[in-house]
Amino acid sequence: MLIAIGSLTVIGLALGGILGTAARLLAVKVDPLESDLQALLPGSQCGQCGYVGCAQAAKALAQGDAAVTLCPPGGKAVAEALARRLGVTVDLSTHVDRGPEYAAIDEALCIGCTRCIKECSVDGIVGATKQMHTILFEACHACGKCIPVCPTDAIKMHPVQVTLGTWHWPKPVAAH
Amino acid sequence: MKVQVVYATPGRQFWVHVEVQPGATVRDAVVRSDVLRQFPEIDLEQQKFGIFGKIATLDAPLDDGDRVEIYRALIADPKQVKQRGKATPAAT
Repeated sequence: MLIAIGSLTVIGLALGGILGTAARLLAVKVDPLESDLQALLPGSQCGQCGYVGCAQAAKALAQGDAAVTLCPPGGKAVAEALARRLGVTVDLSTHVDRGPEYAAIDEALCIGCTRCIKECSVDGIVGATKQMHTILFEACHACGKCIPVCPTDAIKMHPVQVTLGTWHWPKPVAAH
Repeated sequence: MKVQVVYATPGRQFWVHVEVQPGATVRDAVVRSDVLRQFPEIDLEQQKFGIFGKIATLDAPLDDGDRVEIYRALIADPKQVKQRGKATPAAT
């Protein structure tokens, strides 16, 4: 009994010691500013800012390579929050929030080339070679990546119409 | 196993998950999904079907998680539509 308790305690202490030292020695350095900025970004990894995802955008922001207005889906609120965290001032009087949008294909122009299907990161386009392509508006998150690849300029963004199903009470303006 | 069935028109989009037996085919999923009743214009013989952007026959077997897509024919003639970076086709 005592031998069992003793041996398990020794094993526990030894393994705990190894894990503890490894965590110290092999710790991944995270810039606290970077993780704060990433928490402020929407996290949808849409790529509209030109970076691969929100983590890369946060890194660029922390290094000062990107403007605080880089995030189109975040709009004014995210730009203000980023500016506050970075301690910079930003003039947002000319900033226009575009609001939620979705992409749609002009069927008279679609030639069934499948280029937009390969580009879509959410598998939101139904279609195959030489068949009509249709964007599922439930899936589309308006990243706009399909627009430049379309050879016939058939894809356009449309604002999401406010219906009884999509309307929500506007958020109160927070005091700064 | 679960598969999705999707049929999209510009006005109305049908996108459901259906439970099918292992070894089911594209036809089984389409028949089970009720899409044929809601869209009577779908013709099993005329229209093309596919899985995730690849055209498949009605007898193609399905895997778990596949998205069965029902396609519609193109309206435009690809040879007549003006393409970016290409010369305007003669007959427009």
